[in-house]
Amino acid sequence: MSFYDGLFETFGLSSWCDSGASKAPMSMADLLAKTDGNAEQGPAFPFPSLDNLNESCGSISQTRDVTKGIEEAFLAAKPALKTFLDPLTQPLSWMLDSALYAFEATPWFIMIPALLALTYYASRSVGVVLFVTFSVLGLAFVDHYDVAMQTLAIIFVCTSISVLLGLPIGIAMSKSNGLQRAIVPILDLLQTLPTFVYLIPLIFLFSVTESKLYGIAIILYAIVPIIRLTNLGIRLVDKDVIEAANAFGMSAQQKLLRVELPLALPNIMAGVNQTIMMSLAMVVIASLVSAPGLGVNVLRGIRNLELGVGIVAGIGIVLLAVILDRTSKAALSRVDMTHRGH
Amino acid sequence: MKFKMLGAAALMTMAVSASTARADCGTVSITQMDWASSAVVTSVANFLMTQGYGCDVQVVPSSTVPALTSVAETGEPDILTEVWANSTPSYEGLLAEGKVVELTDVLSDGGVEAWWIPQYLAESNPELTTIEGIMANPAAVGGKFHDCPSGWACDIINNNNLKALDTAGAGLERFQHGSGETLQASIAAAFADEAPWFGYYWAPTAVLGKYPMVPVAVPAYDEAAHTCNGSSDCASPVASAYPKSKVVTAVAGGFMDREPEVAALMKNISFTNAQMGDVLAWRLDNNASYDEAAVYFLTTYKDVWGDWLNADAKAKLSALLN
Repeated sequence: MSFYDGLFETFGLSSWCDSGASKAPMSMADLLAKTDGNAEQGPAFPFPSLDNLNESCGSISQTRDVTKGIEEAFLAAKPALKTFLDPLTQPLSWMLDSALYAFEATPWFIMIPALLALTYYASRSVGVVLFVTFSVLGLAFVDHYDVAMQTLAIIFVCTSISVLLGLPIGIAMSKSNGLQRAIVPILDLLQTLPTFVYLIPLIFLFSVTESKLYGIAIILYAIVPIIRLTNLGIRLVDKDVIEAANAFGMSAQQKLLRVELPLALPNIMAGVNQTIMMSLAMVVIASLVSAPGLGVNVLRGIRNLELGVGIVAGIGIVLLAVILDRTSKAALSRVDMTHRGH
Repeated sequence: MKFKMLGAAALMTMAVSASTARADCGTVSITQMDWASSAVVTSVANFLMTQGYGCDVQVVPSSTVPALTSVAETGEPDILTEVWANSTPSYEGLLAEGKVVELTDVLSDGGVEAWWIPQYLAESNPELTTIEGIMANPAAVGGKFHDCPSGWACDIINNNNLKALDTAGAGLERFQHGSGETLQASIAAAFADEAPWFGYYWAPTAVLGKYPMVPVAVPAYDEAAHTCNGSSDCASPVASAYPKSKVVTAVAGGFMDREPEVAALMKNISFTNAQMGDVLAWRLDNNASYDEAAVYFLTTYKDVWGDWLNADAKAKLSALLN
C-alpha cells in the first residue's frame, strides 16, 4: 500500500496503472520492510515524485527511466552530431599535436632563449625576463622541463584559439544588444557549469584518445573572459569620441579598427590575461581526460599520495601561471602607456 | 522433571540474551571503493552488519591507496573492502607491521588483470590473441596500447612490460589515459563501432561483463620479473603476465579484538567471479544503483549469504532467509 493508491483509484485509473507492471528492482527500503515483517513507515505525505507515484501506479515511469531516456536520446543524436562536429574540431587535434611536438622536439638550448626573447618582446621589462629565466631554469633543473613545455604548448594553442574566436564574438556582441542578450546566459553557463558536467558529453562524442577532447574542455572554459571584456571594452569607449569619428565621416570598419579597438585594447588585454589564467586552471582537470603535462603529475601525487611529486608539479603550475601573468600584465601596461602618450 | 526443563529453558534464555549482548556492536566504518564490484560488497556487508549484527555502519567513499594510508596513520576506517593486494605495493608492508589484518579473499576466484582485445577482433583476426601477432601487425589493433592512468600500479608494470617487449619499436604507441573513466569510455566507444582496441583492464568488472573481451597471450608469469616490473627503477624489465590477483578484505589492526563477531562475518563474505559477474551484469541491465544490486544479491543468493551469518544474525534475518 502506497500513499497515492487512493488517488489513482478515485480517478478510475486502476486498470491503466495495472496494465504497466512495475519493472522497478526491489529497493533497500523494500528489503528492510521485508526483514522487519512490519513495513517501515515512510514520510506521512511523500512528495508526488515519479518514484513515489510509480509505487502506486506501474504505468508511471520511474526517474531512472527518465535518465535512461535522456541517455538514449543523446546516443541517438550522437551520429548526427558527430558527422558535424568531428571534422569541425579536427584542426584542433592537429594544432595541439603539432604544438606538443614542436615544443618537445625543439632542444632546450633553443627553446629557453626563444621563450626569453618572446618575454622581452612582449614585456620590455628586464625584471620579468630575469624572473622567467630563473623559473624556467629551476623547473628544468628538477627535470620538469618536458612536462612544463607540454603544459605550455597546450595553453599556447588553447589561448590562441580562444582569443581568435572570442575577439570576433565579443565585437559582434558589442554591436548588437540582441546578440548580447543571447550570449550572456551562455557565458554564465560556461563559467558556472562544473567542468565535469561538460566533460561527460564530450567523452561520449569524441574519441578519448584524441587531443581535441581536452582542447575543447579548456577552450570552453577559457574563452569566456576574452568575450566578456572585448564586449565591455568596446561598449565603454567614450560616446564623444564615436561622435567625433562620425563627424569625420568614418565608415563602420574604420571606426572599429582605428577608434574602438585601440581604445578598448587595455580591456581586451586584461581579457587575454584572464583567458591564459583560466586555461592554466584547467590543466589538472584536462589531465583527467588524458592531457599530458604537469597535471598528470599532480594527479599521480593525489592518487598515490606521493606528496612530493604532487607539490613539485603544483609549484610548477604556479610558476607557469606567474610567468604568464607577469608577462601579459607587463604587455598590458605597455599598451596602457602607449595610450597615455597620445 | 518439570523443574529441570524449566531450568534448561531459563539457561537457554540466558545464553541467548548473553549472545545478543555480545553481538551488540558499535560503530563500524567500511570503505566504499570507487569501482562497481567493491561498491556491491560494501552494500551487502552494510546490510548484514546493520540488520544482522545491529552495527552502526559508516560508509566511507575512498580508493585503495588513500584508504590504506589512512588506516596506517589513524587506524580508520575499520574495514577495507576489495584490496587488490598485488597491485598495491604498500599493502604487504602494512600487513607485516600488523597495521592491517587480512581476513579473506573477498573474490574467491581471484581477480584477473590482463591485456585484452575485443572478442569480435579475436574472431576476425585470430592471430591477434598473442602479443607476437599484435606486434607483427600493430595497425590491426589500432596501433595503440590503452594504458592505465598515471599513479595506478598497473601503469608502471605495463610500462616495463612494454619496454621489455619493445612494442614501441614495433610501432605500437602507448596511450596513457588520464583517468579510469576515459579508459572505460574508450572500450565502450570501440565496441559501439566494432573498432579495434587493445589495452589493459581487469575483471570482475561491469565493463568486462558487458563487453566480451579476450585476453592476449603474453610471456608466462614469472615472479622475479613481475616484482621487478612493479618498480619504476627496474633496470632490465622482462615481460611477464600478471599473476592471479589476490583480492582481499582487510581490517585495521585493533578491529579483530574490538568487534570479533563482525570480523568473523567479514571473514565469511566472499564472492565467486560468477556470482559477482551476475550481479554486476544485472545492475547494468536494470540501470540500478549499487544498493539495488546488493538487494538483488541478497534476494537471489540466500543460501550463499545465509551461511555467512552467525546463529543470532540468522534468527534476526530469518524473515528474509525463508
